[in-house]
Amino acid sequence: MRVELQHVYKAFRQNDQTVPVLQDISLTVEQGEFVCLLGPTGCGKSTVVNLIAGLEKADTGQVLVNGQPVTGPGPRRVVVFQDAALFPWLTVMGNVEFGLRMAGVSKSQRHTAAMAYIKLVHLSKFAHAYPHQLSGGMRQRVAIARGLVMQPDILLMDEPFGALDAQTRAILQQELMGIWQKTGCSILFVTHNVREATGLADRVYVISSRPGRIKNVEAIRVPRPRDAAHAALAGHQQRIIASLGEEIEKVMKDELGEAIHFAPTDRPGGADRSVDLHL
Amino acid sequence: MPRLIGPVVLIGLWTCTSSLIPSWPSPWRVGGLLAANLQDPVFQAALAGSARRMVVGYALVVVLGITLGLLLGRFRFLDQLMGSLAVATHAIPGAAWVPLAILWFGLTERAVIFTILLGAVGIVVVQTDTGIRDVPPILVRAARTMGAKGLKYFWFVVVPAAIPKMVDGLRLAWAFGWRALMAGELLTSVSGLGQLLNQVAKAGAVDQLLAIMLLIALIGIAVDGLIFKRLEHAVRVRWGLN
Repeated sequence: MRVELQHVYKAFRQNDQTVPVLQDISLTVEQGEFVCLLGPTGCGKSTVVNLIAGLEKADTGQVLVNGQPVTGPGPRRVVVFQDAALFPWLTVMGNVEFGLRMAGVSKSQRHTAAMAYIKLVHLSKFAHAYPHQLSGGMRQRVAIARGLVMQPDILLMDEPFGALDAQTRAILQQELMGIWQKTGCSILFVTHNVREATGLADRVYVISSRPGRIKNVEAIRVPRPRDAAHAALAGHQQRIIASLGEEIEKVMKDELGEAIHFAPTDRPGGADRSVDLHL
Repeated sequence: MPRLIGPVVLIGLWTCTSSLIPSWPSPWRVGGLLAANLQDPVFQAALAGSARRMVVGYALVVVLGITLGLLLGRFRFLDQLMGSLAVATHAIPGAAWVPLAILWFGLTERAVIFTILLGAVGIVVVQTDTGIRDVPPILVRAARTMGAKGLKYFWFVVVPAAIPKMVDGLRLAWAFGWRALMAGELLTSVSGLGQLLNQVAKAGAVDQLLAIMLLIALIGIAVDGLIFKRLEHAVRVRWGLN
């Protein structure tokens, strides 16, 4: 299984103007690979996810899964959204077995399968709880289980931990690593957090903003489990931040209407490599 | 506790005014009459009649309102065809249906039930239809990527997503239906609380009139508070809307 974008261009209409969102995006996710898309807010990262998921169509260029063009959404490409997007009227079990139910799997079979994935994300005790009874981190666990139970070709994760506190985020990153290694599924993970990207991915595509273009690609070969203090990781992070520095200034100028000089090293606590590009 | 302040003040004011105006009965007198009425077989029969009509009428409202709302929400052409009709129905107060009901059904029980139905069904149709159209886009996308489509998608995603709006509609429909019932009974003289109002007013019995009105208010409040408010709250909590 291989997911591929070839020279994708995508624009939206806004007040009778055509605003290009993605320009000439080409990327691949190989079987079993963990790929991150990293870029500032508004760079079109989510649009890439939507294109692969089949929720949106490219204006030009191709989105291919195993060489076949994507024509619409389907359970082989499941999305984990930033705000979990669980069905509030269903229990954890009901949510996780949802896709199997849509596929017409018998009740006992889908129960067994769903329970296995609920266990995988450590929510066995909450199988019969409703989403409103769960914390943000637990909801994301459910969303991950709900996606994985479909045994998808690729799990698309659109800033899945973006709304969580730092501690929960760190725990879930670690668990996601474990799950990925256990299941061997491909993951495309969107984030604006440099440390998150370098900590997780085999490859990081750095995307520039407005329109989104691929600025550079960092292949990260640091063995797992990764030590945050690993020297090679620091090198990757510095290169990414350097290439994004001008991007951050561009976004700020766009949003605030004035030029702001921003260099990561100027920041208080500049030694901390956890640079969040969320502006 | 603060919830009790309002009623206490109200009863206090009522007591004061009744001691100043001789023809204005005190709340204690009205309350006593109400208690006595509840023992009276004629009154009980009237109450039972009203309750029966309300149950039948409301059941029709629920079944027809939700069915029509689902159909209108599902099929765009039906919505274009009948959507404005539902809105128009909803815009007509229940009492305004009584003359037509009498023309069609005479001074009968059916005329009253017809009045309840037409007075309350519109809001259920409109709310159900709206709920179906306003499924949160993020849930639509999540469902689509998990392979939900067609009738299964409608039944397992769209309909449950519309339930909070439906419950809003059902709660309003209860209030509208209760009003329509009173209007219907007043004007058709079918035995019930509405008709009793008419009788005691003609006899000039202000205290009895107030006793019946008090009962009508209490039933309205009780059903809303014990059933619909709780239902609405439970739904809002589960759907994460609070």
